Amino acid sequence: MQPRKIKTKVMSVLAPLASATIFLLLWQAASMIVSSQALPSPATVFKEAIRMFSIKIGGNSIWMHVFYSMRRVLIAYFWAGLLGLPLGMYMGWNRTFDKIVKPVFELLRPIPPIAWIPIAILWLGIGESPKIFICFVGSFVIFVLNSYIGMRYVDSLLIDAARAFGASKRQQLFNVAIPASLPSVFAGVQNALSTAWMCVLAAEMVGAREGVGFLILQGMDLNKPAMILVGMALIGLIGAILAVMLRLLEKGLCPWRKELV
Amino acid sequence: MAQRAGVKIQCRGISKSFTAQKDVLHVLEDVSLAVYENEFLVILGPGQGGKTTLLNIIGGLLMPDAGDVLLDGKPIEGPGPDRGIVFQQYALFPWKTVEENVAFALTMAGVQKGERMAAAHHYIDLVGLKGFEKAYPAQLSGGMKQRVGIARAYTANPEILLMDEPFGALDAQTRYAMEKDILSIWQKELRTVVFVTNNIEEAIYLGDRVVVMSAMPGKVKSSYVIDTPRPRNYTDPKFLEIRKMISNDTDLVL
Amino acid sequence: MQTQTQETYRTGKEVKVRVETLTKCYDDLLVLDNISFDIYHGEMLCIVGPTGCGKTTFLNCLSRFIPMTEGDILVDGTPADPTRHNIAFVFQEPSAIPWLTVEDNIRFGLRIKRTDPKTIEDLVERMLDLVGLRRYRKCFPKQLSASMEQRVVIARNFAINPDLLLMDEPYGQLDVKLRYYLEDELIRIWKEVGSTVLFITHNIEEAVYLAERILILSPKPSTIKEEVLVDLPRPRQFDAPEFVKIRDYVTECIKWW
Repeated sequence: MQPRKIKTKVMSVLAPLASATIFLLLWQAASMIVSSQALPSPATVFKEAIRMFSIKIGGNSIWMHVFYSMRRVLIAYFWAGLLGLPLGMYMGWNRTFDKIVKPVFELLRPIPPIAWIPIAILWLGIGESPKIFICFVGSFVIFVLNSYIGMRYVDSLLIDAARAFGASKRQQLFNVAIPASLPSVFAGVQNALSTAWMCVLAAEMVGAREGVGFLILQGMDLNKPAMILVGMALIGLIGAILAVMLRLLEKGLCPWRKELV
Repeated sequence: MAQRAGVKIQCRGISKSFTAQKDVLHVLEDVSLAVYENEFLVILGPGQGGKTTLLNIIGGLLMPDAGDVLLDGKPIEGPGPDRGIVFQQYALFPWKTVEENVAFALTMAGVQKGERMAAAHHYIDLVGLKGFEKAYPAQLSGGMKQRVGIARAYTANPEILLMDEPFGALDAQTRYAMEKDILSIWQKELRTVVFVTNNIEEAIYLGDRVVVMSAMPGKVKSSYVIDTPRPRNYTDPKFLEIRKMISNDTDLVL
Repeated sequence: MQTQTQETYRTGKEVKVRVETLTKCYDDLLVLDNISFDIYHGEMLCIVGPTGCGKTTFLNCLSRFIPMTEGDILVDGTPADPTRHNIAFVFQEPSAIPWLTVEDNIRFGLRIKRTDPKTIEDLVERMLDLVGLRRYRKCFPKQLSASMEQRVVIARNFAINPDLLLMDEPYGQLDVKLRYYLEDELIRIWKEVGSTVLFITHNIEEAVYLAERILILSPKPSTIKEEVLVDLPRPRQFDAPEFVKIRDYVTECIKWW
């Protein structure tokens, strides 16, 4: 049924375009009702974006600001993963270890990254370290949680099958439990990156002179809402691109998961 | 006709209980039975009758509360590739291809890749899945997944095959086809088989001997030798007669 | 091959449900091809087919979960309409409402139909007896075994006496003794309530045990290939020669397609 296929393809392009258009129209309408100081129109924001891309702010181009933020996020993310994944996995695998560590973790978990800012400044000053630390805290918790859940809820039938065919405890862990927990781990990998990226604004409230969060704070200081919105849009856009990249990575690494297709 | 060769497996006085919340479930009570070498033994019982528990104990995945299991005269202490298990829910590793799943036991034992793939391919062929070596379990139908399970158990090169209601999740017609296939596979590569089921037709079609177990607490009720020559016919009068006899002997569990 | 001719079977019976030229395509794939049949008032009709005969698609079209590409389903002569007609469904997996007790589950459908309270109570009592679950009336589904839960669902569905009750292999792979017990129970309830039932299964023996009439589906693209009348007295015996004859016949039909 060729006409049916064409119809679905057209719809899948038209639908997002339609929703984007409606969003922009609503935004435009809202900006006309509220004062343009509070909510600049889409056109104004767009013009501001072009302006910002062509100048230096605080001595750096926008690309440099993005770079600085990304650098902080990625360093934090890398360490959070390196430490959080094995910790979560081991908690899920070894019940005794779980009983010891879990209570401490459950106490620390609900503390939002922002709440760590004062102590981070106290311990690490106001350079790069506290910013990286804030992003680290946010993503570390996600890594631990997701890998814990993934490991803890591995289908015991698969472990039985491994045992039945002669796998040692170590082989069970590496050959069965870890691959079986991958879907959950990957969910953690994706969430942790989004979280780290979302923390970057909080992080850059600590004496930053560069970064995407800095752009937003500048917009606030200079009373330029358009600048704030451009900063927010940048955060949103980059976050979305990172998420898509990770999803593609997961698809490549996990060819057996047809629900990802 | 079952070759009354030596006793391969001897279960002696097996008892097992589980606690679920506040209740204690006596799943097996003083179960003793013998399995002869290269026979196709069927253990038949109603749902929740402890048959799977018994199979898991023979497989070494569970330890009995009382009694023991002897394999060639030596007590079983745990699972091992000398007993291959086929699970009702397939238990295939979704991230591995068919051939990797089938070769699993050999991979765990450290066998070289060339050798283990050769063995795996032999059994993939035997179960009729030639061409699907590189497929993933998610791409296969229920019947095909179970064939992979059977090939995997065979590839471990066990002396015993333990099958836990392997066709229970399949629809009636696929089930008949699989019953025919498992017999032809077994007849080509003879092993001692312990096959658990709740389906009387299946038990009579497949078994050299059918051991009927009661509902919980599971005990051995009776044992029937089926000496009708194979291939058997489900609607043959003799078959139906045996079926009626065994049916009157099984417990109804609501 | 039938013990009763098709004409004599149909005499005196009114058509309750008529399925006309039911066709279903997914893009280029033709799954159901021009299926037409009648279900008579109060009949127990079974449909069997080989594995992969589009049974799920067929059921989804009949119960209107998915739209048909072509064709229609008429109840009492008018197109099936959710506001006026009741088409009830028993799935393969038990679907009792988990937060209601057994008796409340049975009441549930009746309350939705706005039956008066006295009738509801009478019907609930009658149903509890018919499925032998009186002892469990205040239990919750999770306290029951899967087969018991399925019986609650069946009781609930029969209680509202639907225009058409669709049953999709509700007894799955339960052990044969239990299955015969439940099938006897089903016949008992069906005779008592007199609903029109369409029972779909892959299990030929089950179909011969239950049905007054069997329709055999071909593999995809599915059509109705044959109709077999089952004119045996109840309770039926699986080892009776007549039973075996019909079972073998249906098995052969399916095998050859």
